[in-house]
Amino acid sequence: MNWDLLTVAVLAGAANWAFRALPVITRSDRMAAGGWLERFLSATGPAAIATLFVAAILPALTPDVRALAPVIVGTLAVLGLYAARRSVVLAMLAGAVAHGLATWALG
Amino acid sequence: MTEETLPTKPTFAQGLAASLPIVMGYLPIAFSFGVAATRAGFSATEAFALSLIIYAGASQFLALALLSSGAPVLVAAFTLIAMNLRHVLYGPALMREAGDRASTRHAWAWAWGLTDEVFGQALGALARGQRFSEAWMFGLGLGAYAAWVLGTVAGAVAGGSALEGWPALSAGLGFMLPALFLALLLSILSRRQLPVIAVAGLVTVAGTLAISATSGILLGMLAGAAAGLVRR
Repeated sequence: MNWDLLTVAVLAGAANWAFRALPVITRSDRMAAGGWLERFLSATGPAAIATLFVAAILPALTPDVRALAPVIVGTLAVLGLYAARRSVVLAMLAGAVAHGLATWALG
Repeated sequence: MTEETLPTKPTFAQGLAASLPIVMGYLPIAFSFGVAATRAGFSATEAFALSLIIYAGASQFLALALLSSGAPVLVAAFTLIAMNLRHVLYGPALMREAGDRASTRHAWAWAWGLTDEVFGQALGALARGQRFSEAWMFGLGLGAYAAWVLGTVAGAVAGGSALEGWPALSAGLGFMLPALFLALLLSILSRRQLPVIAVAGLVTVAGTLAISATSGILLGMLAGAAAGLVRR
């Protein structure tokens, strides 16, 4: 085992635990009740999910239509399935399958 | 709503079942991480240790680059820590939706699993009217964590050429997470949140193009949340 790797992993892992767990354990959201911080926190969820979607899709965007086509097909499949069935799981699966099929069809 | 009319608390098994889309998204990415780790010269045990101890996708790929390029240990560690700073926002945002009476007795264990995707899935469930329960959170987090660690081991053992003969499968698997985030976004979409979502998306693009992907993510979340401060 590489000790440098283990040291980096333990430091980063400990920080991750602190970032994720301490605000929950201390119920830091209660300190925010009724004020501007409450509005900030309630917007954090939608903002985070929007950000993560944009960050995940951004590297796939390219002016090369052939490379972009599977991304468009996959995105439309997610939108279509979600509109039809209101299911996160089915929409995700449809997007991945459509993206894979479009990649295969375009060779 | 009174206590009698509230829906029942979701169980550990239901949380585990709800982790399925995350499991399907994590397996191919964790597999790719395992492959990348062995390509960078690390052993399967070391790849396993990184996924088990750090458990944060993008920063683990960065860890490989930093460690294999010989970056000083503290520089590498603080780079990874800065990259995951956004997670500080997830707990308070989730507990605000969970309500004032939600228990956090076992949060020291389940909150470790509060990754981007677990947070998104949990928030989506609460937005759709599900009650908060620590057992459900634990099931959701454990399914995702197990997929991440097992996927890493599978990738590290299989080695570099595992998916090379299957480009369409590899492409489809690679689209799982963008598809999951888009579906989660649709599940929480409301007219009231549109300005927040638009600001977050635009600032993420601008931050990514102008500075870096990590900065884009952090700035996008902060700008979107700040947009929520505007009274309408």
